[in-house]
Amino acid sequence: MSIVTVQLGQCGNQIGFEVFDALFRDSHCSQGLCSKRENEAYQASCKERFFREEESGVPVARAVLVDMEPKVINQTLSKAGQSGRWKYGQHACFCQRQGSGNNWAYGYSVHGPKHEESIMNLIQKEVEKCDSLSGFFIIMSMAGGTGSGLGAFITQKLQDQYSSSLKMNQIIWPYGTGEVIVQNYNSILTLSHLYRSSDALLIHENDAVHKICAKQMNIKQISFRDLNQVLAHQLGSVFQPTYSEDGSFPYRRDPLGDLMEHLVPHPEFKMLGVRNIPQMSENSLAYSTFTWAGLLKHLRQMLISGAKMEEGINWQVRPPLSGLPPLGKMSVHKDLHLNTSVANLVILRGKDVQSADVEGFKDPALYTSWLEPVHAFSMWKTQRAFDKYEKSAALVSNSQLLVKPLDMIVGKAWNMFASKAYIHQYTRFGMEEEDFLDSFTLLEQVVASYGSLGP
Amino acid sequence: MGRRRRRVEGAARALPEAIAALSRSLPAGPSPEIFRRAKFDRPEAAPVLWQLLFRVLSPLAANNALTDLAPEAQARVVKSALVSQGYPRSAMLQSPEGGPQGSRELLLALSWLLARGPLLEQLLAQTRVQLGDELPQCECDTLASRGLPAPHVETERPVDLRLVEWMMGKLRFGWRRLISSQQEQCALLSKIHLYTRGCHSQKRLGHLSVAETEMLRDPESSQQLLQALESENARLEAALEWRHRELVFWQWMDTVLDACWSESPAVTSQPTVLPMISERGLGALELVKQDLQALQEELREAAERRREAWEAQVGGLGRQPEWSTTRKALQEAVERELVALQGSWEPSSNPSQPQRPHRLVRSQDELPGRQGLQAAEVIRTLSAQEASLKRALHQLQSQCQRELARLAGALPGLIWIMAPGH
Repeated sequence: MSIVTVQLGQCGNQIGFEVFDALFRDSHCSQGLCSKRENEAYQASCKERFFREEESGVPVARAVLVDMEPKVINQTLSKAGQSGRWKYGQHACFCQRQGSGNNWAYGYSVHGPKHEESIMNLIQKEVEKCDSLSGFFIIMSMAGGTGSGLGAFITQKLQDQYSSSLKMNQIIWPYGTGEVIVQNYNSILTLSHLYRSSDALLIHENDAVHKICAKQMNIKQISFRDLNQVLAHQLGSVFQPTYSEDGSFPYRRDPLGDLMEHLVPHPEFKMLGVRNIPQMSENSLAYSTFTWAGLLKHLRQMLISGAKMEEGINWQVRPPLSGLPPLGKMSVHKDLHLNTSVANLVILRGKDVQSADVEGFKDPALYTSWLEPVHAFSMWKTQRAFDKYEKSAALVSNSQLLVKPLDMIVGKAWNMFASKAYIHQYTRFGMEEEDFLDSFTLLEQVVASYGSLGP
Repeated sequence: MGRRRRRVEGAARALPEAIAALSRSLPAGPSPEIFRRAKFDRPEAAPVLWQLLFRVLSPLAANNALTDLAPEAQARVVKSALVSQGYPRSAMLQSPEGGPQGSRELLLALSWLLARGPLLEQLLAQTRVQLGDELPQCECDTLASRGLPAPHVETERPVDLRLVEWMMGKLRFGWRRLISSQQEQCALLSKIHLYTRGCHSQKRLGHLSVAETEMLRDPESSQQLLQALESENARLEAALEWRHRELVFWQWMDTVLDACWSESPAVTSQPTVLPMISERGLGALELVKQDLQALQEELREAAERRREAWEAQVGGLGRQPEWSTTRKALQEAVERELVALQGSWEPSSNPSQPQRPHRLVRSQDELPGRQGLQAAEVIRTLSAQEASLKRALHQLQSQCQRELARLAGALPGLIWIMAPGH
C-alpha cells in the first residue's frame, strides 16, 4: 500500500528530500546482506510505498511539495533532478511569492483558505495515482509559520476529505533556545490543532538530533543537511520494509496502519518519539561490530531513562521489580525518573535477526498499569540490513519522553499569553484569544494524561 | 402380489435414494446408512452428525477457519447456534458435547433445520463458484444472526476506562483499514475491467472478470475451476433430486419421532425441563404465588380507578377544539415515525434491494431500459440503508454520551479528547 507525503514549508521540503533520498539509496544499496530474491522484494515493497513509475522509467516520489516561497522548492527539485535516480512529479509543487513571516495565524487563516483548492487538487492527483492508499505523511515544522500553520490547516482538510486514510505528522520540534520569539505560541497552536485532526504525531527534537550529530557522528560544523540526514535515517529505519506479522517473508503491506494500531489507538496518547542504534559516522562504522544483545540492552536503557541517544545513557534508572512498589528514594530523585510507556515498537534489521531477544522490552514495569505488555509491545524485523549497518535497531515509543519538553513549551507560552505579548499579531488574522485558551486546555490535559502513566 | 411387492421394494429403495440425494447436496454429507443408524440412536453415527451440523451451522466453517476446533468446541458452537435459532428440544441441548450419545437427537436437529427454512439454498449459495465479479454484499446480517455468539467477558475487577478507549481505537483503525482495502479491491477490479475490454465472447458482458482473467494467465487454474464447477453441478443436481424425493424422507422422519416417543414417553409429556425445587422451596413458592395474586388484584383495582378518573378528565378536555387538533397532530407524528421505523427495519420492503448476487459489468452505453441492476440504483439503496444505520448509530451514541457524562460528572474538570472525526 502507498503513502503520499506532503512536504510543507522550508523544513518539510528539505527533510522530505532527504527522506526520499535515504529510502531510495537504501533500497538500491548492494550491501543488503540478503538473498537476491529478498533484496528484489524489498526494493519492490519500498517502491510501491513511496515511489511510482513513470514512462521515462525514473521513479517518481509520491509527494506533494508546498511552500509559500519558491526558493527552497526550487533547490529541492534541482537536488532531486541532479541525483538522476529518482525525481519529484512534474506538477507536484505549489508555491507562492510571499511567506508567512513565522506567523502561525497567517499560515493557518490566510494562506490555508486562500490556497486550499489548489493544494488539495495536487494531493488528490497524487492520491489517484495510488492503487491503494494507506495514508499520508505530513512533514512540517512545529514552530514556524508556513509549515506549522498551513500544515495544521492542510491536515484538517485531509481529515475531512480522506477520513478513512491514516495521517501521520512528522513534526520538527524547535531548539529550546530558538531564534523565533513566538515559537512557543506557534508550537502549542500546531500541536493542539493536530491533536484534533491527525492520528499520530511523530516528533523529532532538533536538540536531540543536533546532539547526535555532534556526539555520535563527530560532525564539527553541523548544518541543517546533517540534521536532516540523521532524521531521514531514523524514519527510514522505521518505514523501510519488514517481514509481515508471522515474522517471515513476504514484507508487511501496510506498516503505517500496523504501527498506528500498535501505538496510537488511544486519542489522548498520540505523541511518538524515535530512537535508533547504532548511529555513527561512516569511518567509525567500518571498525565496529555489534551484537544483538548489546544493541538491545542499550536501546532498552535509552527507553527507560529517556535518553535521546546512545552516549550518556543513565544506567542508574531501573524499573522496579515486578510486584514491588518503587523505592521512595527513586521517585524523589528526579534524575532517576523511569520513563513509563503506553506502547513501544522495536524494529530490528540485519544479520542473525532471528536470534535477537527482546524479552527485556516485555517487562510490565515499563508500561502503564492499564495495558499489558502483550498489547503494549510489538516487534518488526527483517534480515535485510539497513543503510550499511550490519545490524541496527529502532524504537518508536509512545511514552513520557516528550512530556517534559511539552510542559516547558506550554509553560513558556502561557507566561507570554498571560502578559498578552504578541497576541495582536495573531488576532490580526482572525484568531481569537479563545483559540489560545482551547489549545492550552487541550495540551494541559495531554500533559496530565502522560504524567499519570507512571506508578 | 407381485405388483405389491414391487411397490414395497420401490418404496424401500426410494428412502435411501432420497437421503443419498440430500447427502450429496450437503457439504461433506454422510452416507444414508448413517441416517439409518441414527434412527436407532447408534453411537457410531454421532461424530459424523456433529461434524455435519457444525458445517451447516457455522458460516465460517466453509473457509476452513474453524475446522481445526476440537470436537467439544464444535459441539458447543452447534448447540449455541441451535439455541439462537430457537431449537425447542431440550434433550439435544442437554446432551454431552461431542460424545457418541444422542445420534437420533442430532438427526432430529438436522431435519428441523431442513424443514424450517431455505437451509439447502443458503449452503449452496455459500459455496457457489464465482465466475463473474460480484457486488460485495453486506454481510452484517448473516454474521450477526448466524455467527458465533459474542464472547461474554466476565471481569473480576473494574476495567480501566483508558483500556476500553484503547480497544475502541484499535477497532476504529481496523474499520478504516477495512475500508481502504475495499477501495483497493475496487481500484484493481476497475483496472482489470478496463484492460480486458472487448475480450469477452459474450458481447453483453464486454470485459473479463477476475476469475476469467486468472484462467487466461494460468491454464492450470482453469482445470481447477472446471473441477469446482463440476462438483457444484453435481451438488445442484442432487439438490434438485432431493426436492423431488423429499416427501418419503419426511414420512420416514415421522417414524423416527415415533421411535423417540415410544422409548421415552416421559420426555414427550414434559418437553420443557423444569428446575429442581426442594420441598421447602415449594412451600415458599406457594406463599409467593398468593402474594403475587393479591398484588395483581390490588394493581388491577388501582389501575381501574386511575383509568376512570383519567377518562373523566380527558372527556372534559376532549370537547375543546384545540385539544382535538393537538391530538391529530400527535397521531400524525406517531404515524410518520412508525413509517420511518418500518422503513429502516425492513430492508426487504425496498423493491430495488439487490436480493441475489449480480455480476459486476462496466458498460459504456447508457441505454435506458437495460437489463439488470444499475449502479445508481444500488447506490441509492445503499445510501438509504446507510442513512438509517447512521440514525441508529447516532441514537446509540447519544445514549452512550449521556451515560458517559453521567459517569464523568463525578470527576469535575475531566476533559474528553475525542478521536478525529467524532
